[in-house]
Amino acid sequence: MRFTEFTPFDLVLLAQGLGVTIGLFLLTSLIGVIVGTAWGVIRFYRVPVLMQLVTFVAELLKNSPVLVQLFLVFFGFPAFFHLNLGPVQAAVLTLSANTAAFVYVIAVSAIESIGRDQIESARVFGLTRWQVLRHVIAPQAAAFSIGPLTALLVNQLQVTSLISVIGVMDLAKIGATLNLRTLKPFVVWSVVGLLYYVTAKLVAAAGTRIETRLRAHSAFRGL
Amino acid sequence: MLNVEQVKKTFGSVTVLDGVNLVVNPGEVVSILGSSGSGKSTLVRCINGLERLDGGRITVDGFDVSRPRELAEARKRSGTVFQLFNLYPHMTALRNITLAPIEVLKRPRAEAEEEGRALLASVGLDDRADAYPAQLSGGQRQRVGICRALAMKPRYLLLDEVTSALDPEMTADVLDILAKLAASGTTMLFVTHEIEFARQISDRIVFLEKGVLLVDLPTRDFFAADGGLAQPRVAQFLSKMRKD
Repeated sequence: MRFTEFTPFDLVLLAQGLGVTIGLFLLTSLIGVIVGTAWGVIRFYRVPVLMQLVTFVAELLKNSPVLVQLFLVFFGFPAFFHLNLGPVQAAVLTLSANTAAFVYVIAVSAIESIGRDQIESARVFGLTRWQVLRHVIAPQAAAFSIGPLTALLVNQLQVTSLISVIGVMDLAKIGATLNLRTLKPFVVWSVVGLLYYVTAKLVAAAGTRIETRLRAHSAFRGL
Repeated sequence: MLNVEQVKKTFGSVTVLDGVNLVVNPGEVVSILGSSGSGKSTLVRCINGLERLDGGRITVDGFDVSRPRELAEARKRSGTVFQLFNLYPHMTALRNITLAPIEVLKRPRAEAEEEGRALLASVGLDDRADAYPAQLSGGQRQRVGICRALAMKPRYLLLDEVTSALDPEMTADVLDILAKLAASGTTMLFVTHEIEFARQISDRIVFLEKGVLLVDLPTRDFFAADGGLAQPRVAQFLSKMRKD
């Protein structure tokens, strides 16, 4: 005899899964944005060796499936480096690095989008390279990149569902568990999908809000 | 003293400046005339350290712009106003002006802003301090550009075709301001196509042709039949510009 009914406790499970998903998403996004931006700055300064290294690593991360990266970290690291990572650690490492690689691409194009003329005038007035980066490039690059960055993060939120395969109890894993028990895939996956959808919409809305603020200087104010 | 000695600049196989010598003394207004592509703008970009020299030497009050350590000092002494304004689009007019004084000269913000507002008032823009460049007209932007250069209290003001992107009315506004600056004793190196205006405000006029400084004469002599006009190329240039 098998118990296939939904119980109130399933809601708690879903909430827990959603919490894990959002938590991992926020943490890996934060790390990814910081690391990816740092890589972009390394390229801006044209730091020898480091710059080539960053480009190489980013290329690898961008051009291979996240699932493969996840398996390499989770199963490969213990084998090759004798480094035992738990599922959550492996997930944080992989997702952060993957996000960083794409943030790097956005950061590079954002920095390059700033007109040379402004950078030249700032240099002529004696600002150092760092001051130019901080006062002239960064604020505009941030405004430029917030759109692509939001799109990337919405996508990375969906990508987090892959970590369920190494046993992290995220929203997708909870979905799979409930599905196995209740044998009601249509109901379970609809609810899980809806939760992802709502979360993604929140991320997109936050992005739009920040973008409006950062682009205040170029807002169209009517003729 | 701003001293340009035997300066050479090449872009690939093209020689843009070929042994240019020029001295600008404090208090002087020197205009550089010449057709497009003669190297006028490149000369200014060499003086403010935006281009690396391929020969010769440029010193601003003795500081060599080719030496990284001295370039910062040289740049503090010269202020540049650009043809296309080159304002920072994400900053208000006032912030455009106060950025360098605060960051480079380490002036207290309140003081820098007070001076910035005074400069804006002096060019008739007191009510536009909080406007972004996109909300200003071309002429207003260039006036902010001039204020930005003046805020650094430069000893030499480098003006690179500052009215070329403006319509005649806006040009007149900007030229009025430059005339006042010239009259108040500001040292200026003025790259321009405004020949009549150059004639009114300059102490000296130099003529560049294909990277060579052909003529360097006091203004009166430059326009005299036995002075600058004796050079066929100058006479040709002047008659052409006046026809337009």
